Amino acid sequence: MKKYLRLYSAFFKASLIADLEYRANFLTRIATDIFWYLAQIVTFETIYRHTNLIGGWTVEQMRVFLGVLFVVDAFYMILFHDNLDRMSERVRKGELDLLLAKPVNSQFMLSCQRLGTAMIGNLLIGTSWLVWSLSQLPDFQVLNLFWLLVLIPSGLLVVYSCRFIFSSTAVIFTRSENLMYLWFQLYKLGMRPDSIYVPWLRILLLTILPMAFIVSIPARSLLFVPDYALFAWAIFWSLGLLYVSHLFWKFALKFYSSASS
Amino acid sequence: MCTALIEVTLWMAVFAAAKTELIGGFPKESYLAYAIWAAFMARISVSWMYEFRMIEEIDSGSINHLLVRPFTFFEYYLSQMMGYKLVTTLFSLIVPFAVSTAFDLPTDATKLPIVLLLVFYYLILVHILSLIVASIAFHLNRVHSMTVAKNLGLWLLSGELVPLDLIPSPYKETLLALPFCNAVYIPVGYITGRLGIEQVYAGFASITWSILIFGALSVVMWRWGIRKYVGTGA
Amino acid sequence: MEIAIKTEQLSRTFKSYQKPEGLLNSIKGFWNRQYTEKVALAPTSFEIEKGKIVGLVGGNGAGKTTLLKLLSGLIHPTSGTAQVLGFKPWERKPEFLRQMSILLGQKNQLWWDIAPLDSFAMLAEIYDLDKAKAKTKVSELAELLDCSHVLQTQLRRLSLGERMKMELIGSLLHEPKILFLDEPTIGLDIVAQTVIRKFIGDYVKEKGPTVILTSHYMDDIAKLSDQLFLISQGQFVYQGTVQGFVSKSQMQQKIHFALAEKLNQDLVLKSSHPEGISLKAGQQEFIISVDQENIPQLMTQITQLSGLSQLRIEEADFEEVIHQFMEAESRLRKTRHSN
Repeated sequence: MKKYLRLYSAFFKASLIADLEYRANFLTRIATDIFWYLAQIVTFETIYRHTNLIGGWTVEQMRVFLGVLFVVDAFYMILFHDNLDRMSERVRKGELDLLLAKPVNSQFMLSCQRLGTAMIGNLLIGTSWLVWSLSQLPDFQVLNLFWLLVLIPSGLLVVYSCRFIFSSTAVIFTRSENLMYLWFQLYKLGMRPDSIYVPWLRILLLTILPMAFIVSIPARSLLFVPDYALFAWAIFWSLGLLYVSHLFWKFALKFYSSASS
Repeated sequence: MCTALIEVTLWMAVFAAAKTELIGGFPKESYLAYAIWAAFMARISVSWMYEFRMIEEIDSGSINHLLVRPFTFFEYYLSQMMGYKLVTTLFSLIVPFAVSTAFDLPTDATKLPIVLLLVFYYLILVHILSLIVASIAFHLNRVHSMTVAKNLGLWLLSGELVPLDLIPSPYKETLLALPFCNAVYIPVGYITGRLGIEQVYAGFASITWSILIFGALSVVMWRWGIRKYVGTGA
Repeated sequence: MEIAIKTEQLSRTFKSYQKPEGLLNSIKGFWNRQYTEKVALAPTSFEIEKGKIVGLVGGNGAGKTTLLKLLSGLIHPTSGTAQVLGFKPWERKPEFLRQMSILLGQKNQLWWDIAPLDSFAMLAEIYDLDKAKAKTKVSELAELLDCSHVLQTQLRRLSLGERMKMELIGSLLHEPKILFLDEPTIGLDIVAQTVIRKFIGDYVKEKGPTVILTSHYMDDIAKLSDQLFLISQGQFVYQGTVQGFVSKSQMQQKIHFALAEKLNQDLVLKSSHPEGISLKAGQQEFIISVDQENIPQLMTQITQLSGLSQLRIEEADFEEVIHQFMEAESRLRKTRHSN
């Protein structure tokens, strides 16, 4: 454990050095996410000019929802995105071989090696938006913020585990672009409050494909009366998914070592 | 197509909670048709693959073989992209067409030809922007992220997210004055009955002046890049 | 002697899907796939003593990389077993991985966008090395490879040769007991090749790891290896020393000689061949290719020629021997296949 922490801080340092090397790239990546945040904000602000509620959420609540979305997404971008995005490329180039020859857990190496340090800027922006949106709420309970300490990690675990499983298919299939497209669509489902969906889809998003864990559940903990059973379920199942991703990786590796040339 | 379905769900939820039958003067069906066609238009009117290839080519230095060909770099990739877009348009057209027919959503198929002409005209502008981004690759490494940023920016201005007429003034007027609404809002608005033909004509005009402006910029950027490229001989 | 690597009937077969030609066949292939099996490595048994350098030679696709991947645990065997330092490699136990290193000449393990020194710091964490010791180690190795000046430069800005040196340092940082080097000199210029070759030789002499080395440059193999494994289409065709191989192979050597004056009449030298070797009148310099066994007999005859001004025997060239051997081997296989 201690070794992994030390290793992780070495990864962080190396990533920061590498990111600072490309100043233009550093800034564009922050800009990209600002555009993306704006897109989400513009969509909802515009629609709320013509209606009061969407899926039972008011505009103030929706702003909090977006704040949580920005924060979770920024964490994901910092911690995992660069790794999982490049996974199929690395497998194709045979870099996986060199990784597997290292005395470190290969899932850890593949998922955590490269941090997107530029995205720390986005985390700050996202957090500011969240704080501002919370300050606009008339009856916000500050103590509810503690829920985020467990629910945001649980949301992150869901994004990570699902994306990792999708990316791992690169080991089995040589081409996995279409699966990646499928993943982005799934992720998009999580970018809207769960209550806008038809009942069967909502149930699906709270169970087998828990995209609602990513933003909806943490946002609910800030906005509504806490639903302890739901939160417990989210924590339990997000850890479960992490384990599933581990099993899937073991399966993929078995496939790799018996099929690759 | 999934994107369109998520947008459709959003509009259904909006109308479910709304007290009125109309939003911005249009009924639910109009928005559903808009969401479905917008997803389709947005995919046609954006260039990822060819822009990446242009950057890659400049980055890796394999551009040399293009420089000696009679086709210029710009025309070579423009013709490739147009060909590709034409084929994908014809095939993917079936989906929004089938969906809007099946659910009886407001769509006027006779308006499609002129709208597609508009979008393909807009693609020339898109390609000029690609050339500008690619020219930056002469000076910097890793320009790919600029493509991402630029395309996201254009997406924001295109009207895929919401019909631009819902946006309050003066933002609405600004967005309509820019050429980028020709990617989604103008064509989709016209075939789903939000807009009249005069706005399509205005679209052709705004694309034309933008091509002139950005075209001039791209020439400057390209020459600057080539000068550096030849200069270092890398 | 202690045995570091041992295999018993180790083999590996790949299944691959033959993509058919034409649309119709592609459609058929969609549900009824025709797989072809390719033997990448036929059952092989060998032992390698601790501290030896083994040169692994074979054409493209002969199975060299497959063998290295099997022994380093990246892939599972189809049958048979192997012991490397007493471990089954494909179990990938951390204790095994810690003592092993694999360098793939065409792949980078170091980060492209940072300086090698920063990458080495990460490797030190991966292998639980003491930071200060790792640093000294790096500067030592860099000194030997004559590349201390580029340690702080971003990897992408380095030349191919410098990058390979960096990769070498990276793979030696944890002082592996087993070292697999797959094409460590590929694509490098002569100078870089020589430096790296000398470095590997010196390093092994000092630290004594067991090494398996593959290379397209026979010089690497001839100068470094204690033992030679020759592999062709998945089959081991030779195991032994380099010298043994050269003398065993049916190598024709060349005798060069020149006379003071042009030969005035046709002449026939006697050899084991019934027709002998004929020398044409009017020539002054001669090069004749002969089998090893004929050399003594021919030399006696040549030295008796009048006016002999030069005489030398060209040593068998290792590269050429291998080349001829490979060619003969593949010809043999082709005829076997067509029968």
